[in-house]
Amino acid sequence: MGEPTILALGGGGFTMEPDNPALDEFALSLTDAREPRVLFLPTASGDPAAQITAFYARFGRRCTATHLSLFRRHGADRSLAEIVLAQDLIYVGGGSMRNLLAIWAAHGLDELLREAWRRGIPLAGLSAGAMCWFEGGVTRSGGPPEVIRGLGLLPGSFSVHADGEPERLPVWLAAVRRGELPGGWAADDGVGLLFSGTRHVRTVASRPGTGALRADAVGGELVRRRIEPELLNAGVRPRDRPIPDEIAALRALRAELRRGRR
Amino acid sequence: MTTRPAQIVAFGGGGFSMEAGNPLLDDYVLSLTGAERPRVCFVPTASGDADHYVVRFYRTFAATCATSHVSLFRRDRSGAVQGDLARHLLAQDLIYVGGGSVVSLLGAWRAHGLDRVLRAAWRKGVVLCGLSAGSLCWFAEAVTAFHGAPRVVRGLGLLPYSNCVHYDGEPERRAEYRRFVGDGVRPGYAADDGAALHFVGRGLHAVVSSRPRARAYHVAPVDGAVVETPLETRYLGAAVPDLAVAG
Repeated sequence: MGEPTILALGGGGFTMEPDNPALDEFALSLTDAREPRVLFLPTASGDPAAQITAFYARFGRRCTATHLSLFRRHGADRSLAEIVLAQDLIYVGGGSMRNLLAIWAAHGLDELLREAWRRGIPLAGLSAGAMCWFEGGVTRSGGPPEVIRGLGLLPGSFSVHADGEPERLPVWLAAVRRGELPGGWAADDGVGLLFSGTRHVRTVASRPGTGALRADAVGGELVRRRIEPELLNAGVRPRDRPIPDEIAALRALRAELRRGRR
Repeated sequence: MTTRPAQIVAFGGGGFSMEAGNPLLDDYVLSLTGAERPRVCFVPTASGDADHYVVRFYRTFAATCATSHVSLFRRDRSGAVQGDLARHLLAQDLIYVGGGSVVSLLGAWRAHGLDRVLRAAWRKGVVLCGLSAGSLCWFAEAVTAFHGAPRVVRGLGLLPYSNCVHYDGEPERRAEYRRFVGDGVRPGYAADDGAALHFVGRGLHAVVSSRPRARAYHVAPVDGAVVETPLETRYLGAAVPDLAVAG
């Protein structure tokens, strides 16, 4: 078993980018299994059929893909622990973070996911399914954006959809400045932050022109740092890739190459 | 203004969710409201606010009632109640809770404070009803078998008993429920699919059914053994001769 691993997406993947598999490919690359067992948790949206269908469309052919419904009965005799701890990758969908955490806690799934993480089963997710791993985030479960506590597997806070839902960002920054949330990251749609253990090790993107932000409160003032992501090109290693025209993509590629040499 | 009694109708199974074309249980709960055009709000939390379920609710009730539904998952869209949920629920004649997972239902309700709102609605005389998870939730203890082996969870406790649903539909539940009550779970009520327990205040007022053979039972320890007592059940359909078993 490997190091505890989390891929937190600001947005993207099969539920948001049906024509762009880059982030999902990246999530799959986190497991060594030849035919990975991938579990989808659509809890935050109430297990909607559309998300589940999209999951199987993306992962069904190449993986042993299953989803875990906490609303509709499976008829399976297997316990939640048996289901969760037998996976090679666990992928959490977006939706209401408040519902997600409350329902997981009611089923004891929060503890099982913590155990899966400790055992090195990679956890991936977007939106609510990404913020949940941190100490806190900004949810729109109740309409307007508000601060919410997470599971705290990862230190710091996380805010999602920085470009797609810009109304979250000021709420997050203000909460960090006031100390209501610890310092942390915000990510655009299409951007993923990879954590090894509790360390942020990579930032990847499925599209050019996107980014992430690190913000901390220092003496009551915000200190921000922009993070350029590595642009993913599924299936092609950076050196083999044709040089993209897009300047942002070129920069990202250069950064990636620099990192690769080190 | 007359004060209305607190009422809960707990279905072992049945109503529009499970008995398409058989309106007997749904008509019964509507009749309890005493309203000409009852305000009925559907709470499909236990199903994750499944769209098809919400549609079936409206199809069943929209012609005769002032209908609405609550969504805890899709508050931005989908035509669910917006704004002050508590005020809306307290203004209803009937709150109808759908089936699904009672564990997920209770988790989501508590996170949104809906447990307190429903208690207040009950005290105020809003009729509460539901099937399956929508029955279990009102009791102090509920037998659920959603993932893996059956277990007992703590419900809202408006009714200080235990509850088991689908008593005839899922045979293993019967043995499990009796074992639980033998092991210290409080005495309570079990209901078949098509049977409904009607409580006024905290007391059982009547048992009604949408199917001639559906029954409900009181399950309690007596002298060290768990005894299941059939309850007199009134079939709500045409008066076919059906011998109700007296308790």
